[in-house]
Amino acid sequence: MLRYILSRLGQSLVLLLIVSFIGFAVLTLAPGGPLSQFALSPGMTQEQIEKIAAQMGLDRPVAVQYFDWLRHLVVGDWGTSYRDGQSVLHVIGSHLFATLLLMGSATVISVSLGSTIGIFSALRRRSGFDYTMTVLAMIALSIPTFWFGLIAIYVFSLNLGWLPAGNMYTVGDGSVLDYLRHLIMPAAVLALVDVAIWSRYMRTSTLNVINQDFVRTARAKGLTRRRVVLKHIVGNSLVPMITLAGLQLPMVLGGALVTETVFTWPGMGRLFLDSLGYSDYPVVMGLLMASAILVLIGNLAADLIVALIDPRIRLD
Amino acid sequence: MTKDKKHKQQPNRRQALMMMGAAGTAGLMGPMAIGRDRAFAANADASGQLVLAFSQEPTVFNPLMPHIEVDEGLYYAVFDPLFDFDPSGEFFPILAAEVPTVANGGISEDGLSWSLKLKDGVTWHDGTPFTAEDVKFSLELTMDPDFRSFRSTGYKLMRNITVVSDTELTWEMSAPFAPMAAILASTYIIPKHAFDGVADKNNTPFNNAPIGTGPFKFKTRMAGDHIELEANADYHMDGPFLKTLIIKYVPDLNVMYTQFKSGDIDVIGLQYITPDHLAEAETLKGKVVTVAGTATFESLGLNMTRPQFQDRAVRQALYAALDKSSIIEALYYGVPSPTETYMPRQSYYYNPDLPKHEFSIDKANAILDEAGWMRGPDGIREKNGVKLVFSNSTTAGNHLREQAQQFMQQTFSQIGVKMEIKNLPPAVMWGDYWMNSEFDSVVVGLNALAGADPDTSNYFMSTMSPALGGSGQNTFAYQNPKVDELLVKGAATFVPEQRKAIYEEIQMIIREDLPFLPMFQYAVIKGWKDDVTGPAPNVNNRIDTWNVRDWKRG
Amino acid sequence: MTSVTTNTPARRRFLKSRALRRFVSHPLALIGLLMVLVLTIACFLGPYFLPYDELFIDLRARFAPPGTGAHIFGTDPLGRDIAARLFHAGQISMAVGFAVMIIATAIGSVVGVISGYYGGKVSAVLMRIVDAFLSFPSVFLLLALAAFLQPGPVMIALIISATSWMEVARIVEAEVKSLRNQDFVQAAHMLGLSNRWIMFRELLPNAIGPIIVAATLTVARAILLEAYISFLGYGIQPPLPSWGNMLNGAQQYLASAPWLAIVPGVAITIAVTGFNFIGDGLRDAFDSRTQGH
Repeated sequence: MLRYILSRLGQSLVLLLIVSFIGFAVLTLAPGGPLSQFALSPGMTQEQIEKIAAQMGLDRPVAVQYFDWLRHLVVGDWGTSYRDGQSVLHVIGSHLFATLLLMGSATVISVSLGSTIGIFSALRRRSGFDYTMTVLAMIALSIPTFWFGLIAIYVFSLNLGWLPAGNMYTVGDGSVLDYLRHLIMPAAVLALVDVAIWSRYMRTSTLNVINQDFVRTARAKGLTRRRVVLKHIVGNSLVPMITLAGLQLPMVLGGALVTETVFTWPGMGRLFLDSLGYSDYPVVMGLLMASAILVLIGNLAADLIVALIDPRIRLD
Repeated sequence: MTKDKKHKQQPNRRQALMMMGAAGTAGLMGPMAIGRDRAFAANADASGQLVLAFSQEPTVFNPLMPHIEVDEGLYYAVFDPLFDFDPSGEFFPILAAEVPTVANGGISEDGLSWSLKLKDGVTWHDGTPFTAEDVKFSLELTMDPDFRSFRSTGYKLMRNITVVSDTELTWEMSAPFAPMAAILASTYIIPKHAFDGVADKNNTPFNNAPIGTGPFKFKTRMAGDHIELEANADYHMDGPFLKTLIIKYVPDLNVMYTQFKSGDIDVIGLQYITPDHLAEAETLKGKVVTVAGTATFESLGLNMTRPQFQDRAVRQALYAALDKSSIIEALYYGVPSPTETYMPRQSYYYNPDLPKHEFSIDKANAILDEAGWMRGPDGIREKNGVKLVFSNSTTAGNHLREQAQQFMQQTFSQIGVKMEIKNLPPAVMWGDYWMNSEFDSVVVGLNALAGADPDTSNYFMSTMSPALGGSGQNTFAYQNPKVDELLVKGAATFVPEQRKAIYEEIQMIIREDLPFLPMFQYAVIKGWKDDVTGPAPNVNNRIDTWNVRDWKRG
Repeated sequence: MTSVTTNTPARRRFLKSRALRRFVSHPLALIGLLMVLVLTIACFLGPYFLPYDELFIDLRARFAPPGTGAHIFGTDPLGRDIAARLFHAGQISMAVGFAVMIIATAIGSVVGVISGYYGGKVSAVLMRIVDAFLSFPSVFLLLALAAFLQPGPVMIALIISATSWMEVARIVEAEVKSLRNQDFVQAAHMLGLSNRWIMFRELLPNAIGPIIVAATLTVARAILLEAYISFLGYGIQPPLPSWGNMLNGAQQYLASAPWLAIVPGVAITIAVTGFNFIGDGLRDAFDSRTQGH
């Protein structure tokens, strides 16, 4: 087990290295740069811009910049934001809560709703409910998240005026109720795709379990349908879902980015877009690395949990 | 810099009033007068909270480091410059006891020696007294080669900064430079003691917890959301009148407008109300909505090194084929006003006698026919192997500009000119592509002035073009020896009347040469709740909070 | 890259015909096919029946709501006919989708078949690269790329392909691995056929079912991703219309001209749903173990 974890961690490190290399190459080799935002300031000269670039070390060869960055990364120094001079870890940290709140709420909605739909679909296979849910799930998977967000804003904020059109809370209020009012729409929009995915997978997973011997045995032993469903089917069909949760992480993160844009949610997605706009490479790189790490940890954790609770799977 | 203040003041102020009236903002002069005349009065009790929204996030808190417009929105609240421009382009003292002029002896006749008297009894937010050492430190830090400084123009000429006493300092200039006062007006003074014992001045705790002398103290920042400021009870001028000032970051203009409508935002700031919402905004109950001119002018800028643009006839024809009024009336809802020059009409130096633009496809065609640009089989004009095909670039994602661009593309096609649209993401557009004149043509909004000073050498002097081997902002690569000569003369002249003649002539020459096709002077739609008093347009400053010390509720 | 050869194992031909039968009896798949067909025909033939040019600007007719005169879907902020733009945008968006499908499927198949066939170290390295790409949240990578590169349909297709080939690679790898030791491959070895021949003429054609399914879903994904990038302003640039960039400006006019947002959004949803339905049908058709319908 320990050997497995160590080898997985080793692989993850190699992955991170590749991710960082690709990310850095893309950012630094592309035209433009972090100083272009000052170009339109009155009195700014090319000379001045070059001077600042030299002070920030941006005139060095890309390889030197990369290894310098990597050397610092290894010792826990993720660099300094070009925008506000704060450490990258601090900048990311200050946007983390908003994103986790949004992703967490969306995950709660999608797991609970998605699993329920999936189980019912499987138990009532080929019923009207099953077909309707199948079609709805496929459509949900096909709707662009941001567009769904726009339509939601149009209906609930602009027309009905029930919910705020953006931000995480009202400055000066910030009560739980206030947070909830702001959270409902973005969380629901972000959850839409995941509800569909969860319901699909849960349905398949449940079907696999239903057909297995121990369920048949349980039924044969005369256990009530309700008990069988609750005790045997739900528990066992949830196991593969843990892996799915791990694999879904990058999707949810990507979805959060777009959702945060539509709802002006002050999270990491918003930060990523702002940082791209300012060519704040240290923060962009930091976010790429943070999300890659999050994804790798998610996958590893999912595999480990499955191994722990499912005696049939042995790692090594 | 002003030899005779009175003389200049009168026509200028009247002019400014008239122009603002024309833009539909009559009655704005009232709030502007608050506070200034009662300097040093006892501070009234600050009360209430005000939420000011920007669509960008202020993040650079050391005002001497590279920053953008929105950061200045915070500087005016936390810091003070020595003196500043009021809306009529007049200086008024802030940290200085008196604005140095040739008349009052602050500047020597030859413009080479400056002496500056400071207010007594001013303290920093942490209680430390403010002295001439702080000013010296701020000016010298700007020139420190190890410091990541925002700009060097003007400062490069400063020599021998000497502290005479706690409230007085002097320096010399290596050449007379009239715009220096305007540059000082946008230099915020920072505390020397915050940098004591700091090895790397680019990286100090001060950068995240700024200490100033301004009307508000920095309290907290919620990254990506808002900054909270609280009243500085010991402020050295009249004000502040608000207990709490919140600068909120709302990245989307629609959300910002919706929140203004619903009352979550008290004052709508930078990027403001979009023109398509003007009609509705004006009917909102309990809100004041006004249109105010800014110093930024929109133009179709041409890269003068390109063969297509060498012939003045081509530039004139393109200008004639530019349907300005449709762009302004339809796309921009009539908010900005058409212009023939880079100089804002509110400025004392504005030349009102420039030839007026007339949109005429027939005239444009006639000009090109006469100049020998003939249509080829594909309908595109050419002469001596040069085809009238060029690309046009601007920031990708600027919707109104992209609409204007596509509209121009259609009208230009009617005179046998093919304009291809090639828009780029901001970081690419305003990087080397812009600075080194790698474009054919651009749609750009520029503010060529530093404050109310008319000097624009950086933009129109032939030695200021990186594409021609210089260093500056002359990215149109415009070259005219007469303009060069006038710009040099203007920068060394301190008498406003004499300068006015020089800069009016420059505007006339540039209008004839058309290195850029002037479209309009920007105007923005500002809005605030009707119980808020104080916000006032000031074309000489980059952002609304220039007088935030005067803002009040109720 | 793969051509159907004459020495097709009989097994596969049987599978194909059965798959086809299963596909045509799959109601969702047929609906999907119909949606895609109707949309494709509309996009490619529609412009010939409209009285308006997609680029023609008429400022007097701006913001006409749907049904004004001959503007069935209304007009945009420049007075251009939205229907005309929608159809042209559809051509571009679908072209991007298909281009991505071809590029991503090609890359994925090559990587997958090499990795699956050789196994061992080759496989380990290739699959780690696949993992590396998978652990990038693709929208992040797409934006980072698009923000700094010259945006145009070709570039956008390449960028999306760069984040879409991994799924195919994994599927092909798994499939090839399971086929590697089967009799017909052993026979090919014995006949002295080259590795290249075996990989691309013997193994890959046998994995065609899952590849087609993945390819169909890739079209859906690519259309969605193009919309995401263009919506955020980093994608295909105006005046060239794409479904994504038609939505880009729409948020601003949500209150006054909601049709600007609704019309292209519905088009995207129909197209993507169509391809997803087809993909679902194909999956059921090729998968003999299917329990669904």
